Amino acid sequence: MSEIKTVVVVEGNYLMQTGLEAMLLELPAVMVVKSFMGDEMNLAGFIRKQQADAIILNPFSLKEDPVAFLRNLEQKGEWIVFGMMEKDAPSNIKSHFSQILYTSDTKFDLQNKIRSALGIDAQSDQQSLLSEREVTILKQVVLGLTNQEIADKLFISVHTVTTHRKNINRKLGIKTVSGLTVYAIMNHMVSMEEVDHSLK
Amino acid sequence: MLIHQKMKLADVIHHDHTLVPIINRFGVHLGFGNLTIQEICETNNLNCAFFVIILNAFHDPRYFPKEQLQSIRLAILVKYLQKAHIYFMEDKIPEIASMIEKMMDECLDNREPYLLIQNFFKEYSVELKKHIQREEERVYPYAIKLEEAFLSGAYPLDIEELIQSYPISAYEEEHEDVEEKLFDLKNIIIKYLPSPKSDKLCYQILREIFSLEKELSEHARIEDLILVPKVETMENALKLKGFKHE
Repeated sequence: MSEIKTVVVVEGNYLMQTGLEAMLLELPAVMVVKSFMGDEMNLAGFIRKQQADAIILNPFSLKEDPVAFLRNLEQKGEWIVFGMMEKDAPSNIKSHFSQILYTSDTKFDLQNKIRSALGIDAQSDQQSLLSEREVTILKQVVLGLTNQEIADKLFISVHTVTTHRKNINRKLGIKTVSGLTVYAIMNHMVSMEEVDHSLK
Repeated sequence: MLIHQKMKLADVIHHDHTLVPIINRFGVHLGFGNLTIQEICETNNLNCAFFVIILNAFHDPRYFPKEQLQSIRLAILVKYLQKAHIYFMEDKIPEIASMIEKMMDECLDNREPYLLIQNFFKEYSVELKKHIQREEERVYPYAIKLEEAFLSGAYPLDIEELIQSYPISAYEEEHEDVEEKLFDLKNIIIKYLPSPKSDKLCYQILREIFSLEKELSEHARIEDLILVPKVETMENALKLKGFKHE
C-alpha cells in the first residue's frame, strides 16, 4: 500500500462538499484534511499550510478570480488540482485544469479519476530504509552541521544535501532535528556523548 | 450535532465527553444534574452565547460561527484562551511527563531510549511554553488594546505604530511551528521506540499525546477562526479612521 494521501476540498455548495468528502473517504488510504467554502480570506495561504497531495476545487465557488488563484496555487506546491464543475462549464475555465471531475460523473468515474491521478493503486516503490549515504548525512545533521558544512565536507552540492534531507524526513516520518537526534541515538548511529560534545 | 443552549449539558457530555476539560475551563464542574446549558451559564455568570460557540467549535471541526463573530468580545475570548494555556502547561504537560518518567522506571535495564524521549519531550515543553508566552505577552494585549480603541472610537497614536510593527498577519505565520515536534514524538513512539515492558503505559502516553495534539489544534483553530479575523477587521477599520485624521 502506498502512503496516505491527503486531499483538500474547496466547494461552496454544502451538499456537494459533504458528498465529495464521503466519496473520498471510501477510497483506500485517502484522507480529507480540510474543506473550504471558497469565500475565505487568504484561502490560498490556508491551503498551502495543509500539505495536501491533491486539491478538489470548484472554480465557481471562489470569491477571487479563479485563473489568478489557480496560478498562485500551482506555483506554491506539488499537488494535483482537480476542477469540480458541470459538463457544460465554459471551456476557458476547463482549459485551466488538467484533471476535471464533473458533477454528472458516476461514483465509479469520479473514484477512478482520483485513484489514477493520485497513484493509489501503484505499488509503493519507496524504500523506507535509509541508504548508506542518507545515514552519513543524518549523522552530520544530528551533530549540528549546516547544509553548507555538510556539502563542503562530503564534496557535494547544497542542493544534493537538501534533497537527501527531504528523503530522510519522508522515510523516517521525522521532521525536526531533535527528533532525528533521538532516532540516530536509538539506532546507534551516533552516541549521546558525541551529540553532547557537538552542542558545546 | 449542533449544540444549543436549551440542551441539557449532561446530554452534551454523553454525546462528547472530551468537552469536560473545556467546561472546566469556564469553572463548570461535573455534578450539574439536569440543568440546561443556559441555566448553568446563568448560575455561573457566564456569557452563554460564547460558551455555546466554544463548545461547538471543539465538538465539530467544521463549525464556523460566522454570524456570531461580531458579538464576541475579544476580552472574553482572551480570558478563555489564557485558561486553556494554564490547562496545557499545568495539567496536560506534567501528566505526560510523569507517565514518561514511570515508563523509565519500568525499564531500568535499558534506560537510554526513554531518557531520549524524556529529553525530547522536555524540549517540546519549553518550546510550547515560549509560544504561549509570546501570545500572552504580545498578541493578546495587542488584541485587547485594539478592541478598546475600536469600541471607544478613539484612535491613540501608538495604535497606529502597533498595527504597523506587528500586525496579526505576522502572528498567523508563526503559528504552526510547535506542531512538528509533537508529530515527531508520536512517530518515534509508534515506529522506533524499543517496545517497553508495559504496553498499557505506552498506550496511555500515546493516547495523551494524541489528545494534547487534538486540543492544541482546536485551540489554534479558535484563534484562527475568531481572534485573527476579528483583529484583522479592527485593524482595517482603525487604519481607515487614521487616514481620515490626516
